[in-house]
Amino acid sequence: MMKPTRRQFLRQTAVTTGALALGPLAAGGQEAAGTPPDMSIARWAGADEAPIADIAVKLTERAMEAIGGMKRFVKSGDVVWVKPNIAWDRTPEQAANTNPDVVKTLVRLCYEAGAKTVKVGDNTCNEAAKSYPNSGIESAAKEVGAEIVYLDRRRFREMEIGGPALKTIPVYPEIIESDLVINVPVVKHHSATTVTLCMKNYMGVVENRRKFHQDLPGTIRDITAFMKPRLCVLDAVRILTANGPTGGDLADVKQVNLVAAGVDIVGLDALGCEVLGHQPEKIGTVVAGFEAGLGQIDYRNKLSLRELEVA
Amino acid sequence: MIMRRPKSWMQWLRRICQGGCLVLFFWIALQVRIVGCPTSEWFKLFFDLNPLILIATALATHEIVTALLCSLITLGVTVLLGRVFCGWVCPLGAVHTMTSWFRQRLRGRAGMERRSPWHRAKYVLLIALLVMALFGVHLIGILDPISLLYRSVTAGVLPGAHYAVEDSATAIYHADPHIGPLRLTAVTEPVYRHFRDRIFQAPRQAFLGGTIISGLFITIVALNLVRQRFWCRYLCPLGALLGLFAPRPALRLRQDAGKCNQCGKCNLACPAAAQPDRLGEWLPTECYGCWNCVAACDRNGLSFGFESPLRAPAAGKLDLSRRAALAAGVGGISALLACRVPVEMQDDQPYPATLIRPPGALPEREFLQRCLACGACMRACPTNGLQPVAMEAGMEALWTPKLVPKIGYCAYDCHLCGKVCPTGAIQNLKKRVKQETRIGLAFFDVSRCLPHNFGRECIVCEEHCPLPKKAIYLVEKDIILRDGSIRSVKQPFVDPDLCIGCGVCEWSCVFQDEPAIRVTSANESRNPKNQPILPGAGGFYGG
Repeated sequence: MMKPTRRQFLRQTAVTTGALALGPLAAGGQEAAGTPPDMSIARWAGADEAPIADIAVKLTERAMEAIGGMKRFVKSGDVVWVKPNIAWDRTPEQAANTNPDVVKTLVRLCYEAGAKTVKVGDNTCNEAAKSYPNSGIESAAKEVGAEIVYLDRRRFREMEIGGPALKTIPVYPEIIESDLVINVPVVKHHSATTVTLCMKNYMGVVENRRKFHQDLPGTIRDITAFMKPRLCVLDAVRILTANGPTGGDLADVKQVNLVAAGVDIVGLDALGCEVLGHQPEKIGTVVAGFEAGLGQIDYRNKLSLRELEVA
Repeated sequence: MIMRRPKSWMQWLRRICQGGCLVLFFWIALQVRIVGCPTSEWFKLFFDLNPLILIATALATHEIVTALLCSLITLGVTVLLGRVFCGWVCPLGAVHTMTSWFRQRLRGRAGMERRSPWHRAKYVLLIALLVMALFGVHLIGILDPISLLYRSVTAGVLPGAHYAVEDSATAIYHADPHIGPLRLTAVTEPVYRHFRDRIFQAPRQAFLGGTIISGLFITIVALNLVRQRFWCRYLCPLGALLGLFAPRPALRLRQDAGKCNQCGKCNLACPAAAQPDRLGEWLPTECYGCWNCVAACDRNGLSFGFESPLRAPAAGKLDLSRRAALAAGVGGISALLACRVPVEMQDDQPYPATLIRPPGALPEREFLQRCLACGACMRACPTNGLQPVAMEAGMEALWTPKLVPKIGYCAYDCHLCGKVCPTGAIQNLKKRVKQETRIGLAFFDVSRCLPHNFGRECIVCEEHCPLPKKAIYLVEKDIILRDGSIRSVKQPFVDPDLCIGCGVCEWSCVFQDEPAIRVTSANESRNPKNQPILPGAGGFYGG
């Protein structure tokens, strides 16, 4: 084994010390300090009445920390695209879009890890000019220096997807040209796919997607394979349990206080299904992703997993 | 501009004021489009200062729109100072001033101009329009200069500018011309971003029949090549109204007979042909108070000064005979009958299916008696769904707003159209009320709908339906495929008790040529005669 440099030594010491300090909190910690896990799940164990913004920030920070920190994914000078779900002209309380504090924290962590530019944008369903501000994401991300990108419909480029369901589709070039895309969806019910999670969130990088609905599992599988996911963060601080994907009735929203991060998109989606009370084996998109080799449904046994309680 | 003799600082002050008003006008039009920007009552400033709108709307509706009472200030100023609104404030007047200036650069100065019988055309037009308004045909907005300019800026000028910047930059972006590492996009992209993020700050708009609206505007501007400020002299109904209030203003042109050598330079400089060169024949009802004549005189023979409004001017009276006024009235009545005769204007006729008015629009007749067709609502609409009506609902409805869901839907959370409407033709509803106001009803065309007729999954419409309890519901149905196998498909249906007609389903339908779900004006809240649905009657729930 090579002798570690001083920087590596210091970093490893810090990580080890951190892991030891957090050890008692980690429920299923089976990984060694040197090899970060494939997936982390952070659950809130603090006071119920804590401000939801604080909960979102802490859960995101700790979930990212547990999979090895943002530096595992972001190199100094990188351009990062954070891809939340900002599809709908809804407020954060309605849980139709990703939690703005989760997005904000990710942007901050990217900059702390040395990113040059962090861009935030989505191909929205409602007008972006309404969804971006109403979701709270625009102002939250701007606060920490993100560049908010309003996608220009004329700038999509037809790209080779080469899947069984999707041959070519217009994709937004600026997203593909980024060094890293962080996929950060909110956990929601969806009338067509039952759930909408990480894989379905990639529908926000393409155009001409209305026809996807004739074969959602197939098209979503193909676009996911094309995107080669490296980091996904699942926001289940608030979830939408019915009348999705738009919601609108606060009675359909549930505060679950969970954030998960991982490199295995199918595993995260399987977790999302369970959060919504579904068996992942029965959800078309998840099964299609698993069968195409995009990840593991049985994330508990097939992935190195780290679960933590955050207070 | 080369000014050889900057003799009149008042002339410069006027130019600055005029330019400032034009910039303010454009700033408002840009600002209104920024969603999330709290719309301010100040955005209606130019409408509120317009007495023509106050009077015509009051004649048509027998009601006073409170905010429009501000325009009494304009009338008061006109009584004291003459038509300074035309010379100093009116943004359309500023456009004409600039165009006239270009014409002088191009063609040299115009010849000597005198009072023409055509000056009275604008008074005839004004009387005809006001007579029509009195009998309920409110067409004033088509020719009112503020409404006309706002509509032209909305439908022509700003989309045109937006298009030019965006499409040229995008063409370069796609072609990406470069020599080695030197890329043209290094220049064009920052310019594009500047316009996108700092100037337009909103997606581009486009309007049905926008060419005709722009064409009228271009014609009116081009008429400056025939005569300086042609529109203001001969056509403008607001100018005519102000002229009626300016026969004996306190501010008057003083002509010093001792100094005048009949050189005629003041006449050449006058954009209004108000005869500043004719001793005792200056026309206060035509003068815009622009100070050009004062600045043009080499011998300081002209100046503006105050006199008692009680003293009649020596000459230059309003050029309108009783006979002409009567003829104008008769003309107005003929025109209003012509507007009312077509079948689409008869009360007992069915309503046009595509006439989906914005939420909060008054019942059709009252709506038309207020709507100026100024385009403020269309400019504000974030989805570009509000579009100008052409002739399908009669001449009275020309360029009034309708929702075209195929182009843009009515955003559930938005009611900017009601907030910017200067006359209350679209009422400013509370958000909760707006969200319960029905503007139409959605209908499935089951012969086109994928799950209904092709047995395929789809339901994009249901996904987009913004109601908390969706107005489109799904029923699972077993269908027999070509090979005889059976498959379950979710088929969408509309619940007419819930649907508010926002049109997002039609907008989002996978069929873009003719959507498989379409909204018509049926069931609109504002018209009890157009409500065929008996609420809560129950019905067909499921295939």
